[in-house]
Amino acid sequence: MDVQLKRGLLDICVLAAIRDEDSYGYQIIKDVKPFVEISESTLYPILRRLEGAGFLTVRTAEHSGRLRKYYHITETGILRLRAFTEEWKEMIAIYQFVSGEGKANE
Amino acid sequence: MNKTQFLAALRKELAGLPQEDIEQSIDFYGEMIDDRVEEGASEEEAVASLGSVREIAAGIIAETPLVKLVRARVKPQRRLRGGEIALLILGAPLWIPLLIAALAVIFAVYVSVFSIVISVGAVDVALFACGLGGILIAFTYSGALIFFFIGAALVLLGCAIFLVYGVRALFCVTLVWGKAILRGIKSFLVKGGKTV
Repeated sequence: MDVQLKRGLLDICVLAAIRDEDSYGYQIIKDVKPFVEISESTLYPILRRLEGAGFLTVRTAEHSGRLRKYYHITETGILRLRAFTEEWKEMIAIYQFVSGEGKANE
Repeated sequence: MNKTQFLAALRKELAGLPQEDIEQSIDFYGEMIDDRVEEGASEEEAVASLGSVREIAAGIIAETPLVKLVRARVKPQRRLRGGEIALLILGAPLWIPLLIAALAVIFAVYVSVFSIVISVGAVDVALFACGLGGILIAFTYSGALIFFFIGAALVLLGCAIFLVYGVRALFCVTLVWGKAILRGIKSFLVKGGKTV
């Protein structure tokens, strides 16, 4: 898949990784990695950007005697994910047109 | 390299950034190492999987807005002694304008280069216009002159189409250069911060 396209999808994937429950850096990387290549140095600026844009909030909690940052999705973040899935419904329609899958059902 | 060494090296590479940004980065990468260790990796393995300190720092610096870097550069990193403050105030009229002037010169040079690209683009548009105009004008003449004008117009149009590719290439090159220059300025501001 196109590298540029995958990079663009990273923000969305990170938001999706914290949608169901709050998560922390390393867990996010492990969750996203099977789908899009992601490393610590790519995740860090994404988290800062998403926080700046108000898509997520950060809280610090204790975990086995040390501090760990947990990321929590905001209402705006959930709306962003919803907007993404809406947009991609169109993409899927285009995909079916291009691949010819739509015709098989007719 | 163990965790302490890694974080110390990272702190050193980020020395020109605002203190708050440095602490945030250190916390993030420290937590990453701890989480890998908790999963059974050794400290050395955890550090090795993060990649090189220099690349990580370069990434963080590239993501930091230029304005923030300049502000951090102007703000002292530690509490200054009386004599230093006096020197800084006395020297300020000199070095702040110098920094601003240097940035302005770089900006001006870049804008001039960019305007050259734009003028080449304008030449291209003019060639197109002349070519199209030439074809129209050709029909106001009679006899062999019509063919002469149409021929000349086609030559101009050909040149114009050819030049489109040149303009596009120039435009791309200038943009890439612009990004490289910005990256250079940023890393200069941060690296320069270490000597203060």
